[in-house]
Amino acid sequence: MAIENLHDFLTDYFTANQCEIIENQNGKLLIQLTDKMDELLMNRPFYWQYVKKLGYPGEPMKVTFITNPERTEEDGEWIHFGSPRIHQIFNTLTSQGKFTKLFEKVTGGQRTAMIPWLVVNVKISYNGKHKKDEVISIGLQLINGAMHTKMMDELTNIPFQNSISDFCYTLTPIIRLRSGFQRINNYLANYLETVDHSWARESWDHLEEEKILLERFYFESEDSEFENRFEHELKDLEARFKPHINIEVINGGLFYLSQLKSNRIII
Amino acid sequence: MNIQLNYDEQFINELDEKLNQDGPFSSWDLFKMSYQSCLATVTTEFKGLTAPDRLPHVNFLDHQLECAQQVVEEMSGRAILADEVGLGKTIEAGLILKEYMIRGLVKKALILVPASLVNQWVKELREKFYIPAISHRKRPVWDQNNIVITSIDTAKRPQHSDIILEQEYDFVLIDEAHKLKNHKTKNYQFVRSLKKKYCLLLTATPVQNKLTDIFNLVSILKPGYLGNYDEFTTQFGRDRKKLFNDAHLKQLIQKVMVRNRRQDTGIEWTKRNVQTVWIEFSEKELEAYHQLNQITSDTSNFSSITFTRELCSSREACYLSLKKLIAENENIQNKDDYIEFLKTIEQLPHHAKAEKVVDLIKDKDEKFIIFTEYRASQLYLQWYLQQHGITSVPFRGGFKRGKKDWMRQLFQNNVQVLIATEAGGEGINLQFCNNMINYDLPWNPMRLEQRIGRIHRFGQEEDVNIFNFAIKNTMEEHVLNLLYEKIELFERVVGNLDAILADLKIDDVEEEIQSIFKESGSVGEAKIKLENLSSVISYAQQNYGEENWDGNRESS
Repeated sequence: MAIENLHDFLTDYFTANQCEIIENQNGKLLIQLTDKMDELLMNRPFYWQYVKKLGYPGEPMKVTFITNPERTEEDGEWIHFGSPRIHQIFNTLTSQGKFTKLFEKVTGGQRTAMIPWLVVNVKISYNGKHKKDEVISIGLQLINGAMHTKMMDELTNIPFQNSISDFCYTLTPIIRLRSGFQRINNYLANYLETVDHSWARESWDHLEEEKILLERFYFESEDSEFENRFEHELKDLEARFKPHINIEVINGGLFYLSQLKSNRIII
Repeated sequence: MNIQLNYDEQFINELDEKLNQDGPFSSWDLFKMSYQSCLATVTTEFKGLTAPDRLPHVNFLDHQLECAQQVVEEMSGRAILADEVGLGKTIEAGLILKEYMIRGLVKKALILVPASLVNQWVKELREKFYIPAISHRKRPVWDQNNIVITSIDTAKRPQHSDIILEQEYDFVLIDEAHKLKNHKTKNYQFVRSLKKKYCLLLTATPVQNKLTDIFNLVSILKPGYLGNYDEFTTQFGRDRKKLFNDAHLKQLIQKVMVRNRRQDTGIEWTKRNVQTVWIEFSEKELEAYHQLNQITSDTSNFSSITFTRELCSSREACYLSLKKLIAENENIQNKDDYIEFLKTIEQLPHHAKAEKVVDLIKDKDEKFIIFTEYRASQLYLQWYLQQHGITSVPFRGGFKRGKKDWMRQLFQNNVQVLIATEAGGEGINLQFCNNMINYDLPWNPMRLEQRIGRIHRFGQEEDVNIFNFAIKNTMEEHVLNLLYEKIELFERVVGNLDAILADLKIDDVEEEIQSIFKESGSVGEAKIKLENLSSVISYAQQNYGEENWDGNRESS
């Protein structure tokens, strides 16, 4: 479910943010920003401050983005996975897309019970001598406690909306939100027991090696100042090399799924 | 195993609150995209660099990538970057900084560079690396999370230094770090007291004079890593060669320093084919050469050795100098001999070397650069080539910028040959040409290297052919055989030769050779002296040869 096509991603992003796509062809995108998106992306706070003070309507900019590497010579901003603009957009998304409550879109006019799921996407960072990240998407069914660990992959093609469809009603969770989250944390702790931690061993070993080097140089000196410096250096080393794991929630929320879809996920 | 585990404790509180207040909630699209953008920015491997993929507009060289990788993977982000000049230390530093920023390990950085380079650094980091660096001037920015570039002189001013020293930097970089070699200076103490996680020191000359230079630099990165000052000097002394001779010290330093030299960059330097082209003077020319030798050895005029050199280049060069000598000096010894000799020159046929040039070039489609020492030879050659239907343009250091560019352009697009006297330093790029004739050899090997560097540089795609002309049985033969061949000048990229010459206290090789010829009573004596000179140089080279950091990477 990674971004496969940057062009489509951009198109979706601006559409989702109610911007008009004026032109869209062969890796070139001309967009009419809204006031809100102009303020968010174009980095001209004084202009907007001025406009608001005087009570004028602002004039949001049009921007051209180019995603086709063959066309980078043309007028417009070249967008690729390293360009500052895409990271600015990613940054807006971390807050724009963090919390949600969504309902599956159900048509057909029959009474449908909606099953609550707690969905939490987490980034696990393994920090030691080196660092790496792992992303896990967890869904917890809040009625029977079933858990799925590739949740976003399951959800990606299901239509959702922010309000509940006609003739649908929600079931009240049996597992409360916080204890559900605790279950997810427990799952992660168990999971982390099972992964290969040679990286941490390596980090400890490296830390020990560096300590020995330090000691060799410091303990031959009886100067008290050196004693202090040793302590200081030791702390420094531990800060850099002592292995630790950070679990950070990317985003999450409550998802209400029809019985049908809900059951499919559990199977 | 004991691994600290930190959970996200904030998220669930916020979600709970939002649910209680019923929003605001993100749409399904934005939620999905938020997740996707996270997937796009995480680094899922411990090792390797992710930065190059994010910078598709820059072509990094292998040694630059390896350096960045080595610093990140093995040196844990604290290192001296000590590549030789011109290999791209700035690029390496930028890559390392970028990698840490991508991995979320650096948010706040302080970059200290010479004042004159602040803007260049800002520009380079922004354009090449998309790192939003700012120079300090615009507003007080010390206490924010950002990448600040300033000069050390600005940073250490009292109104700034107090704030700066309170900051906890994720990354500190010092350019031209060899200026910090003295640990008693304020600059050194200032840098030493910065709070920092990762730290890079950039210098092309990590050890300039004394071995303690390296001690002081390392002590910024890892205070105590090499013990204290006294211990260090007791154990290793002050002789800078120890850095390369002492196995223990070398091993220690290799853990904190990356030093690429041109020859071990692993860059596909195209091959350098060097050929000596031996030329025989015609009988008349040889006769004249001996005659001139006879005349000049009778006078004590220091420049008289120049005349014979010039005769080896062209009749014209020698003729003009002699004319000038005669005109400017009323009472020189054997003035009559010189006047007589002018007549001899007038009788000489076309120069043997010039004929050789035509031989070499005339049937080829390729472009050639010809270097000569003398302007008179330059003009003569241009005329002589024209007579043989070979087009050429001249090039001199004295040309104005615009004329240089124009000549370069003519050479690239319209004519076959560029005839240059000493190129005048300012780097013109002539990589589109891969043949060079050293019509006369300079007597200073560094200058020869600079000549070759015009075409044998990044971007040269063909093997480079260097033709060195030398006339048999003349001083040219001696210099070529006894000096250049012996110090293997043509086989290696000079690299450390300037350092060696400085060590030997030879300021000017050219002068040295001139006085050898001048002060020698016979050809035999001159030969012996030349041989002595080259032995000294090649001995020094062997010692320097032990500066070997190749093991750096292989150990990894």
